Amino acid sequence: MFETFISYLNQDATIQAMVDIGSMALFFIGLFGLLTHRHILRIFISVSIMEFAIFLFFIGNTFDKTFTAPILGDGHVAFVAMNDPIPHALVLTAIVIGMAVFALGVSFAIEYYKLTGRTDINDMNEMSES
Amino acid sequence: MSSIYFVALPLLFGFATPLLGKLGKNGIAYVSTLMQVALFILALSLLLSTSWSVEVISIAPPLGISFVLNKASLFFVTLFTFMMMLFSFYYLDLRKSDPYAHEGKFFILLNMLLASSIGLVLSSDIFNIYVFFEIAGLSAYILSAYKKTPKALEAGLKYLVTGMMASVFLLLAITFIYIHLGSLNLAVLSESFNTLPYNIKVLISVFLLIGFGFKVEIFPLNFWVTDVYEGSSSPVNALFSSIVVKAYLFVFFHILYLFMPDSEFGTFLIYLGALSMLVAEIVALKQTNLKRVFAYSSLGQVGFIFAVMASENPSAVTAAFFIILAHSVAKMMIFLSITSIEREHQSVEIETLKELNSPFIKVMMILAMLSLLGIPLFAGFIGKFLALKDFAVNSAYVVVVVIVIASLIESIYYFKIAGNLFYKGEKSKGEKSKGKKREKLTLTLMQKAVFTVLALVLLLVGIAPWLFSGFISEASQVMLDSTTYATTLMGGLK
Amino acid sequence: MNFKRDISTRTYSGFALSALLVLTILNVMLQNIPAHIERAGDQLLALNAQEGVANAVTSVVVYFRGFDTLGEIAVLFIAALGIGLMLSEHTKDPHHEESSFILQKASKLLFPIIMLFGVYVMIYGHLSPGGGFQGGVIIASGVLLLLISDQNFEVPHAVISALETFAGISYVLIGLIGLLVMDKFLGNFLPHDVSEMGMLLSGGIIPLVYIVVGVKVGSEMSLIVQNLLKRSEDV
Repeated sequence: MFETFISYLNQDATIQAMVDIGSMALFFIGLFGLLTHRHILRIFISVSIMEFAIFLFFIGNTFDKTFTAPILGDGHVAFVAMNDPIPHALVLTAIVIGMAVFALGVSFAIEYYKLTGRTDINDMNEMSES
Repeated sequence: MSSIYFVALPLLFGFATPLLGKLGKNGIAYVSTLMQVALFILALSLLLSTSWSVEVISIAPPLGISFVLNKASLFFVTLFTFMMMLFSFYYLDLRKSDPYAHEGKFFILLNMLLASSIGLVLSSDIFNIYVFFEIAGLSAYILSAYKKTPKALEAGLKYLVTGMMASVFLLLAITFIYIHLGSLNLAVLSESFNTLPYNIKVLISVFLLIGFGFKVEIFPLNFWVTDVYEGSSSPVNALFSSIVVKAYLFVFFHILYLFMPDSEFGTFLIYLGALSMLVAEIVALKQTNLKRVFAYSSLGQVGFIFAVMASENPSAVTAAFFIILAHSVAKMMIFLSITSIEREHQSVEIETLKELNSPFIKVMMILAMLSLLGIPLFAGFIGKFLALKDFAVNSAYVVVVVIVIASLIESIYYFKIAGNLFYKGEKSKGEKSKGKKREKLTLTLMQKAVFTVLALVLLLVGIAPWLFSGFISEASQVMLDSTTYATTLMGGLK
Repeated sequence: MNFKRDISTRTYSGFALSALLVLTILNVMLQNIPAHIERAGDQLLALNAQEGVANAVTSVVVYFRGFDTLGEIAVLFIAALGIGLMLSEHTKDPHHEESSFILQKASKLLFPIIMLFGVYVMIYGHLSPGGGFQGGVIIASGVLLLLISDQNFEVPHAVISALETFAGISYVLIGLIGLLVMDKFLGNFLPHDVSEMGMLLSGGIIPLVYIVVGVKVGSEMSLIVQNLLKRSEDV
């Protein structure tokens, strides 16, 4: 009984479904946080969570579990039966870009807090209302 | 001459700025301006050689990234380098009286903005477009918050948060595209996009629309625009209106024409653009702040361009290119005028215009507004006329009516502004007793020259559009021609 | 205890909107689970056997999609510039407590080891998992350790700035040299025999570019970390 459960879990379709559902649950948490939080730093963190959910989704969906990592070593001498290296490269770039924007946003928030003492986005209304 | 130089040279300048700072206080400013002039001359020289040019980066497409220079992208590259060159000249004199702090950083950001806008227009790989999207976004966020006043920081924060949301959706779109189609090259994607199941196509289109929609300032995703424009300093507003939003417009429609030519998605986008224009003009009526009024005017014009480009036929795209040219030049004039007004009067309410004592600026603003309205003999007329004719020919009468109504509303508040410009009215008793006349607003010769060049372009395009229409209509044909794009990239034509 | 709170309409609408989006995506994805299609990455793997290095991800990041990496470096550069601009008037926290003796000495002992590890990851990035970004971040974490444990440690601004400038210029110059020599921006103009795959000096410009990237990332992250650790007098 247990073996059939494990073999059911090992099917490709089940793994895909788990990856999709898991990363989308994380995306949901991030999106919900983005839409409901009012503190500016929590909004940044929510966006960061959304981005990581997308990376998980991306790599999980382009992954074939019978293949190995795209790197020579551990006895591999040829580039066959290896996973796709492009998603890894794209996610590397996107992580760095996401981190850079996050850090910049935090510095804006710090300076704004220093000048006005406010962090709640509902209180940020310096501009004349339209 | 390779088109890589348009991106590599500003990047090199940006990275090398700390070194250039050793050349003295003015070193960075002069080198930067010189580079803008050189890039513009390069763009002009490329205008003469007419065919497609594919710059290969690292490895050949479709596996690698490449830059495609055709008439459509060259039009935009020339426009951007021209606008940035004029802005640099204007700023060279503005910095003598009102410089930005840590000026080296300001010039780095200007050049990164230019490099990324040009990169957006030239690139043929969707992830490369995402990287340039981020570079342009980051430069814009920092330029927005540069002055570090609470208003500027709030503008920067709002811009940053909406930009983050836009990049999340664009990243989602790229994810779906790679998972289901297996390539990132626009040519390969344009050929295989139609093989997707219907609901995945819809999902990808929606994500692309939301992702680009924030930056292309389409309703309802343009709630951030007016606050950001009001909080940023006025020269930066000129850059945003003239260069940045046009680059995003080009990329979005480039992708649309390649992926989904002649679909009902295009029709939906026409109505979305028209709605965006109408809403923006209506809200503009009750504004009292000059920068907000012209920000809403920008939203209206961009909505108009969006609706016209979504029509996906050559005459419409020709009209759109004319409108883009006219709008960039006019908004650059307006926001640079507002810079001078703000420097002199320290306020940008519409009421301030009554006290303006500079006939030169008044003339410039009136010329720009006449062009934006679409009055004949000015640059805005030809674009608007061709666009309305195209809509009427294709029986999109609802859109024609909406555009006409929106233009009428626009003229109402432009006349209000013009009325304030011509105000020779009664001064209050208090002022009369002081007996002091307002000092004339001084503009240096270089700044007047910049304004004059912009005004001459407006008049030239308005009076003699046939000088430009040949090139522009060829450019629009090229932009809509997805099959040639695909075969050129796959064949690796050089 | 009172668990019932007022849940505002904002929360409800946020929940509904997010759930709608996520369920739509899930619905579409679970209906169309993609079979193993031929993707561009497989072709790049085949190309990698002739042109790349042992770590396929490195050759994709640095060579096949090197322009994206250049853009990413530009993003980091602009972000570090912006953070420096925003937080330039802050100074180091004057009320920070002195760290204990063990913390100070241990962190000074650990710092060279972390640096060495970071440099190793950077240089061997084309042979084992790692590379410029990873190594640069490791180096920055070493700097962070020193910054939070030692009151008097300041990142030497002139040196770091010079390193960063030099690294940035050299990346673009490598690309331009490729353009002049091979007519392809960022083309691989140094010798890169297939027979050398797996050796330290293989892959042409790939290890060189990754070291440049690592230096730039390390110096920029150190500057960002130092700026973010500063405090203003009133905050």
